[in-house]
Amino acid sequence: MQQTSETAHRLRARTFTCMGTVISLAVPTDAHKAPQAAADELEAATAVVECLFTELDSIFSLYRPDSEASRLVRGELALPEASEEMRARYEEAAEWRLLTEGSFTPERPDGALDLSGIVKGHAIREAGMSLLALGMANWCLNAGGDVLVSGSPNPGTDVPWRAGIVDPADRRTLLAGFPLGGAALGLPRLGEKTADGGTRAALATSGSAERGDHIWGVTAGAAEFRQVSVAAADVVTADVLATAIMAGGVPMLNRATAMWDIEALAVRTHGELLATGGFRR
Amino acid sequence: MRIRAAVSAALASAGILLVGWQSGVHVSDTRSAVAAAATGNQASGTGITDSSGAASSESAASSGTTGNSGTTGSSGAAGASGTSGAPGAAAKAGGTYDGDVVQTRFGTVQVQITVKAGQITDVTALKLTDAEGRSVQISNYAAPVLRDEVLQAQSADVQTVGGATVTSDAYLTSLQAALDAANL
Repeated sequence: MQQTSETAHRLRARTFTCMGTVISLAVPTDAHKAPQAAADELEAATAVVECLFTELDSIFSLYRPDSEASRLVRGELALPEASEEMRARYEEAAEWRLLTEGSFTPERPDGALDLSGIVKGHAIREAGMSLLALGMANWCLNAGGDVLVSGSPNPGTDVPWRAGIVDPADRRTLLAGFPLGGAALGLPRLGEKTADGGTRAALATSGSAERGDHIWGVTAGAAEFRQVSVAAADVVTADVLATAIMAGGVPMLNRATAMWDIEALAVRTHGELLATGGFRR
Repeated sequence: MRIRAAVSAALASAGILLVGWQSGVHVSDTRSAVAAAATGNQASGTGITDSSGAASSESAASSGTTGNSGTTGSSGAAGASGTSGAPGAAAKAGGTYDGDVVQTRFGTVQVQITVKAGQITDVTALKLTDAEGRSVQISNYAAPVLRDEVLQAQSADVQTVGGATVTSDAYLTSLQAALDAANL
């Protein structure tokens, strides 16, 4: 983060609550637009994102007794009769279970279907596509600590967004930083590799610090990590792999860094760090 | 008879494998049929080494029959040694060899190995660049680091904060909430 904080472009942010957390959308203020027009644009964009999150939550929330997911868990509905959206997410989650050799799973230990591990990432992904479809090139979407960005906080430049990662031992401080974005999402230029960490659009973090141990380990090394952050080109990959590494410990961490084009920062139970090159100074 | 042929075939290909690993080194081992096949091939070992990279089943078969009792290197052996994976090992006793050009997610990769006395003594990257000609990191793994070795960030200097999912209650006292409030 040697980038000096030249925030010539002030950010504007809007937030809403969904899926038990807070989602915030930040965009740089545009000097070429009338302030009111820019504010209206952000307002409208936030409404689109909120609508999308709310709709997915109404399908997948296990906190809502009337959701489709809750009906599935209660056995009132079988997966083959479930909505296309439900089946698509199940299929995606099942694929990730194979790819992570079971470290990521769409099922709770008691066998009940639980797609919440993939739904938030999916919602962020869909929201990102909607924002791009609205013609917005520069934005930062943060859903309860998982981040997807597009473009730059300084429009017209390739200056990346600067993300901080919270210290699980003291969430008032930051453990590390990571540059995100700096190039248009979904338009990777040929040969633009992300080994330097400058062009990843998504950062997801999984941990036991905030919500308690809602991640269940599949191996003996389950409690190896307190927090795992993964930066990747897309948010579902980052989110799923962070969850998988949290559950699968060091073997899954090594597998993930070898198989996927990601950067990872893992905090061990006693605070020691493991980091890939992109997270190192 | 069929079983015998299969066993002979297996022995013969095992022998060829042994030669591959040990050619240039003395085969001091004199154990039963396998050793017999191995030493038998050892006699014509240099011939195999000089032949083209992929020792075809033809040359494998011929060496099998030259070496020892023709029964071992019968038609069954020829087929078996062709598929046993022995040729690479058997043929390459020394020198440098270029691998195939492989497309990976890190770009185009090609390696060269140096073999001495049947052992790989060096691996060199011939091509290890992406489309723009920059060299890129190829082995990505998470290593232990100290806190001051990771990318640093101050809360005043970031635009967003990542962390394990915060509940909407916890959000109120989070750094992200402070950032959002500053940008409202």
